Amino acid sequence: MNAAAMGKRKKQWWRSYAIWFILPAFILYSLFVMLPTFSSIYLSFTSWDGISENIRYIGLDNFKEIWESPRVHNALKNTIIVAVALVLLENVVALLLAILVDQVRWLRNLFRSIFYFPVLMSGIIMGFIWMIILNYNFGVVNQLLDTLGIGALKADWLGDPDFALLSIILSTVWKASGYYMIIYLAGLQGIPQELLEAASIDGAGKWKQFWHVTFPLLAGATTVCVMLSMINSLKLFDQIAVMTNGGPGFATETLTYIIYRVAFGEGRQGFGTALAIVLFILILIISLVQIRVLRKREVQM
Amino acid sequence: MGGKTKTPITAGNIILFAVTLVIAIIFAFPIFFNIMSAFKSNGEIMRDAIAFPSGFYIDSFKYLLTKTEYPKAMLNSAILTVGSIAAMVVVIPMAAYAIERTNKRWTNAVYIFFLFGMMVPFQVYMIPLFKQLNMMGLFGNLLGPIFIYIAGSVGFGVLLYTSFLKGVPREIEESAEIDGCTRIGIFWRIVFPLLGPVTASMVVLQGLGIWNDFLMPMLVLPSGQTKTMIVELFYYVGEFSSRWDMIFAGTTMSLVPVLIAFLSLQKYFVKGVSSGAIKG
Repeated sequence: MNAAAMGKRKKQWWRSYAIWFILPAFILYSLFVMLPTFSSIYLSFTSWDGISENIRYIGLDNFKEIWESPRVHNALKNTIIVAVALVLLENVVALLLAILVDQVRWLRNLFRSIFYFPVLMSGIIMGFIWMIILNYNFGVVNQLLDTLGIGALKADWLGDPDFALLSIILSTVWKASGYYMIIYLAGLQGIPQELLEAASIDGAGKWKQFWHVTFPLLAGATTVCVMLSMINSLKLFDQIAVMTNGGPGFATETLTYIIYRVAFGEGRQGFGTALAIVLFILILIISLVQIRVLRKREVQM
Repeated sequence: MGGKTKTPITAGNIILFAVTLVIAIIFAFPIFFNIMSAFKSNGEIMRDAIAFPSGFYIDSFKYLLTKTEYPKAMLNSAILTVGSIAAMVVVIPMAAYAIERTNKRWTNAVYIFFLFGMMVPFQVYMIPLFKQLNMMGLFGNLLGPIFIYIAGSVGFGVLLYTSFLKGVPREIEESAEIDGCTRIGIFWRIVFPLLGPVTASMVVLQGLGIWNDFLMPMLVLPSGQTKTMIVELFYYVGEFSSRWDMIFAGTTMSLVPVLIAFLSLQKYFVKGVSSGAIKG
């Protein structure tokens, strides 16, 4: 009985310290993340302009407009194109870089650093550098094409709706692949050397070793990288802001970009929050799928 | 196969090296191009983008540092990064420690509540946040973004710290408790030093994110005395649209601290990535 009473007193004491330790984080998080998130849900049912005092409730009108607006459809289409292209390209490039860095005989660390460094750059700076590299009149790419005598291939890479999105995608692959490379590299280095040796004794060539031993063993890294690159591609913003500002026209407007433009450029904050809710649901679905897939994998292992 | 063994150099080694080298040159080019262009005059850049600088032209640096608000913006970025990180490293591990060690129903509820924040992207709450800061009188004040950065990293940070704390034995804490140490004392003197690796990756990862952040500082620190460096640079792209030399000088100056941090803390950057990999 004595012990039980002591346990109880101890519990009370623990409880009080825990509250004080958690409180600062709890207050800041509630005030600067949760409160505005719930305000967003509320505002998505209004036609608020961001300035006026009276906020008019308009029910599901914003969502109806999202459903019908060709501009939003275009932004969604661009978002999907960007997501699919980035997930595929970033992962292929990252895996390739990881294999190169893992296998190369000299200057391994230097190469790893070079491939990784763009990850550390701000999207604004990276966007600006690529904007100039891709400039029609003075840019490096067009100058290079001229020098090589294939000036006919010159294009206005960011001003032409056919190429603008592609330019953003490719420059983002340059920026982001190094990040996933590090994850693949950790995966590659975790593969027991004996397995590959056994496969090679059994007569498997390099290519077969890769497909039948290395690649299946990288499944964990692949899942993580695919999910991360998908979520990051949905959040793509800085590059678009500096390289095209969503243009020409609406050619490079993605979901994240249209939220910003509608809310802060066109004074339609109610509509902007409704779009933000759509983005949120999209990310929520992907995150839930991610958790499920990762759990399943854990069970299998 | 591995480069560390002393096997003879094969043709395969050389081909692989050559391929990697070519790709590395392509990867390094934009950064090299940026730094090189910062030392060229505007005329030189326009005339031939690929050519090496003819001299050591530093007028654009001088102009930025003396005639514009760029130094002020650099200082703001530094204050914002250091201030937010310092506060994060106090607030988040304490919360994570209390959650992990208490392990009751209410702390688990708080834990789930915090984790939920990891799924909410900034764009989802930025519109009401903008108005809210205005009402709180934090608009255009560096304190606003500091609060937002701490709040935004609670979910991820608590996850990192709690999972690390699971592997930290409680025995030392318990004996310190018997010796009459206060909780605060136990935490800061005994537990916090053991959390070094997590703190290092948090500092590196979040510090870089804050230094490079654009959207939030642009929205809540849009003009005047509190603009950050990246926001200032973004406006230069519109303002000095024909003065590329100026922008190149600015981007170079913002890259230098990142480069220095990377070269001196490489280990933590790489580790930070693998810990960041669990971020959803």
